[in-house]
Amino acid sequence: MSGMTKEDRIYMSDLNTGVFSIDELENVQITIGSIVGAIEQQMEEEKDVGPNSKPGIAGLRNWDFKLFDRYEPVYTPMCDQCCYCTFGPCDLSNNKKGACGINMEGHNAREFMLRVITGAAAHAGHGRHLLHHLIGIYGKDHALNVGPSNIIAPNTQTVTGIIPETLGDMEGVLDYVEEQLTQLLATVHAGQEGAAIDYESKAMHGGMIDHVGMEVSDIIQISCLDFPKADPEAPLADIGMGCIDSTKPVLLVIGHNVAAITNIIDYMEEHDLADKIELAGLCCTAIDMTRYKMEGGGTPKAKIVGSLAKELKMIRSGAPDVIVVDEQCIRGDVLEEAQKLMMPVIATNDKLMYGLPDRSDDSVDTILEDLTSGREPGAVIFDFDKVGELAPRLAQEMSVIRKEKGIKALPTEEEFKELTSRCVHCLACELACPMNLPISDAMTAAEGGNIEPFEILHDKCIACGRCEQACPKDIEVVNVIEKAAQKIIREEKGKMRAGRGQISDPEIREEGVNLVMGTTPGIVAMVGCSNYPDGTKDLYRIADEMLRRNFIVVMSGCSAMDLGMYKDEYGETLYEKYPAKFLKGNLINVGSCVSNSHITATTIKVAAIFAQRDITGNYDEIADYVLNRVGAVGVAWGAYSQKASSIGTGCNRLGIPVILGPHGSKYRRALIAKPYDTDKWNAYDARNGQTIDLPPAPEFLLITAETVEEMMPMLAKNCIRPSDNNMGRMIKLTHYIELSQKYLGVMPDDWHVFVRGETDLPLAKRVELLKILEAEHGWEIDWKRKKIISGPSKQDISAQPTNIKRLCKEA
Amino acid sequence: MVDVTKNLKVYTTYGPKSAKAIQPNVAAKMMSKAKRPLLVVGAPVLDNGLLERAIKIAKTGIPVAATGHSMTGFVGKDVDASYINIHSLGTFIGDPNWKGLDGDGQYDLIIVLAHKKYYINQVLSGIKNFTSLRTLSIDRHYLQNASMSFGNLTPEVHLEALDELIENL
Ligand code: SF4
Ligand code: SF4
Ligand code: SF4
Repeated sequence: MSGMTKEDRIYMSDLNTGVFSIDELENVQITIGSIVGAIEQQMEEEKDVGPNSKPGIAGLRNWDFKLFDRYEPVYTPMCDQCCYCTFGPCDLSNNKKGACGINMEGHNAREFMLRVITGAAAHAGHGRHLLHHLIGIYGKDHALNVGPSNIIAPNTQTVTGIIPETLGDMEGVLDYVEEQLTQLLATVHAGQEGAAIDYESKAMHGGMIDHVGMEVSDIIQISCLDFPKADPEAPLADIGMGCIDSTKPVLLVIGHNVAAITNIIDYMEEHDLADKIELAGLCCTAIDMTRYKMEGGGTPKAKIVGSLAKELKMIRSGAPDVIVVDEQCIRGDVLEEAQKLMMPVIATNDKLMYGLPDRSDDSVDTILEDLTSGREPGAVIFDFDKVGELAPRLAQEMSVIRKEKGIKALPTEEEFKELTSRCVHCLACELACPMNLPISDAMTAAEGGNIEPFEILHDKCIACGRCEQACPKDIEVVNVIEKAAQKIIREEKGKMRAGRGQISDPEIREEGVNLVMGTTPGIVAMVGCSNYPDGTKDLYRIADEMLRRNFIVVMSGCSAMDLGMYKDEYGETLYEKYPAKFLKGNLINVGSCVSNSHITATTIKVAAIFAQRDITGNYDEIADYVLNRVGAVGVAWGAYSQKASSIGTGCNRLGIPVILGPHGSKYRRALIAKPYDTDKWNAYDARNGQTIDLPPAPEFLLITAETVEEMMPMLAKNCIRPSDNNMGRMIKLTHYIELSQKYLGVMPDDWHVFVRGETDLPLAKRVELLKILEAEHGWEIDWKRKKIISGPSKQDISAQPTNIKRLCKEA
Repeated sequence: MVDVTKNLKVYTTYGPKSAKAIQPNVAAKMMSKAKRPLLVVGAPVLDNGLLERAIKIAKTGIPVAATGHSMTGFVGKDVDASYINIHSLGTFIGDPNWKGLDGDGQYDLIIVLAHKKYYINQVLSGIKNFTSLRTLSIDRHYLQNASMSFGNLTPEVHLEALDELIENL
């Protein structure tokens, strides 16, 4: 065919529709690069797929670059070096280049992206595991059901264009997620990407993909496992180390994937063991256990110990008789720690097996015999029916055996004295402690009989054990703290509202308008882990303050648990005190880690239901809408994990700003805008394409705050959006000013930049503020009518702000 | 005279470039000589005897960037203090277009006091790697990402060192 001219060739891409015939076949070359045309046609037949379905890793780059133009990547490296390939280690300090040509910025952007896709892979991997499992039981045709909503999977629909209806439909969604993750992981290879900004865009892609993976994971479990379905009345579950009854056999579950655990619950119910065994959980598996079979209410079938920070403490307490682990955020030394206290460990997920033998094919009785006799410290079991039977039986037997053997965990009073007096006050532990806790002084005080300093440390200590590793005197510092805090631990009894899943369409219909107009001052979504800078109570303080101010407070994951640990002066937790509808002044728990997708989904639904935007395969338009109109701020106060970075980054791409606690600076990069750079604070007016001024909010997409006091006014300010009506802006400004005065002791120095006219001013302070505007900012005021004549920057309240030119009527 | 340069232990390293240890009197000299110094003070300043010392330093004419909620300590104390988020500050501080907290332009010496060690070290890492600014830590911990730093000190020795520094300003 070498004699053919280009004109003789027929390209499939040239053929749109219609019939074509090939007469002289020997003179014609048919080039079929791919069957793109066929797929497109099929998709068209399926549904309206939108302008940007299933974007590849460069598919939304333009949108990302728009965001980065204002929200610049800010790097705070964890290390001056790169040791990623054998050319290195390379000294990249002062933004030098390494042997491969990448500089410090590029390397840090790559590192950040790697964190993001690792987190996304953890959720997607969890989702795929669960999907296989649930399809195995319920079949591919099992209908998805998330409650009274037509938009079942907002993230999925917006990103992929797929409107899933059955479990089977989710396979295609995860296929897409997994392909994207593979492509992204490939770019981490040395010599793949030279510009930091492109790694940043890829990180955003990973974050967005994560919300799809999370959504799949949670929707399928909600649909199959009788979880509450957008239920504001989801029941309250017990939480806290103090509510675990260790006189019963204790079965402790740790992780994030409830697949095997449901079999345990079922077995316990079928064999009338629910009252005889204490089933307790740590991390998100605990949350999902309390959702299991709670559609329509009831009493949750398990208790929650708490977050990751309680893991070592719970094991060291000696209370668990058996530990069952699944995946994510489980300490690497669970087996080692458990072995010391004769607690058999059952691993149920191939992501985490501790070197234990796979006993999936053995009979329950044989495994039971090997574990109770102590011949084996634990077992890997992938057959969940066997896990379901084994774990409760084992807990009952081990409880007796461990009591007979007199297994003792925490130090006695005498041992406690000996431990504290052994301390030589070398401060090695304090240097090692990620929190720099004053351990040495507490040792001195305890030696003198005063345990109060240790009681205070207990809540701030994340039980990481680094102090013990550093101590030259082999003092088990964690045990010392836990022993000293026994009284406090006994009182750790709270309530957490079981995760309700999504916000339903009717709820959005009711509240969407208030959010966009600003008359509901904003959504504060507290997500993520327990690496708090100053103990768990911070969360309570934030939620308490913002709920009093009528913000909608949304919780998930470890934050949702820790919030339930505190009570007010009337002995009520915030979950008991506040209703859980999607309305101003309500407190919602969406659920576990993977339920975070419902938070982004909520903002997507506002665009779909309130603003009638077509969300299908239309990510950038929806993100543009959210950025400019939905006053929501995420808070990951104790973020530690890679998953937290992907969750946050997924929020960021959708236009939702996120504040991290100070440990979040170790993610290496933030996205911070410059409020003083006035060129960056404008958009188009979609009505006519003209450029309009914007208020400098949100001022960041990702940032850290030092203390909760600092964060309070940040929350109020960064819920300000251009779409606020006068009433909305007034409400938001009132909170911003009041919170700044309350927690920082001063008026904020930038409140005036958010004022578009006198009706934006807080009513009670209007005259006072007008005076300041005149005296300090040179604005002209008509004092007779108490009106602003000139001064404010031109922010047109009726404008339709957008950062995407194609959305303008006349460009 | 207290020797604050003895204990430069770190738990983990950031790599090849670490802060030079500095004595209080030398630090004071640097601060006095700087044309546009900025004292960055974090929320832990409110905890113990640090606030009065920070105020004394500020009263020598050094403006204060009050991060976290440390601002509450400076209200009504007749010092030039303004609130700013430290992550933002670390970003703006290297931008030639930033006019400073007072509108008078760039700073030439950044002095840090009373911070969470792990947090300020990250902020300093950004400044170290992406700006040419000089940073000086007069905090209680050896901050390896500053240009110059006191060593690891007990709270008592730290206060002594600050007093000595203030005397030399
Ligand atoms: S990836 Fe580049 S910078 Fe990193 S070690 Fe290899 S050559 Fe050096
Ligand atoms: S276990 Fe607690 S005290 Fe010990 S290093 Fe970790 S956080 Fe610090
Ligand atoms: S490392 Fe050990 S001996 Fe040294 S201060 Fe800490 S507890 Fe005491």
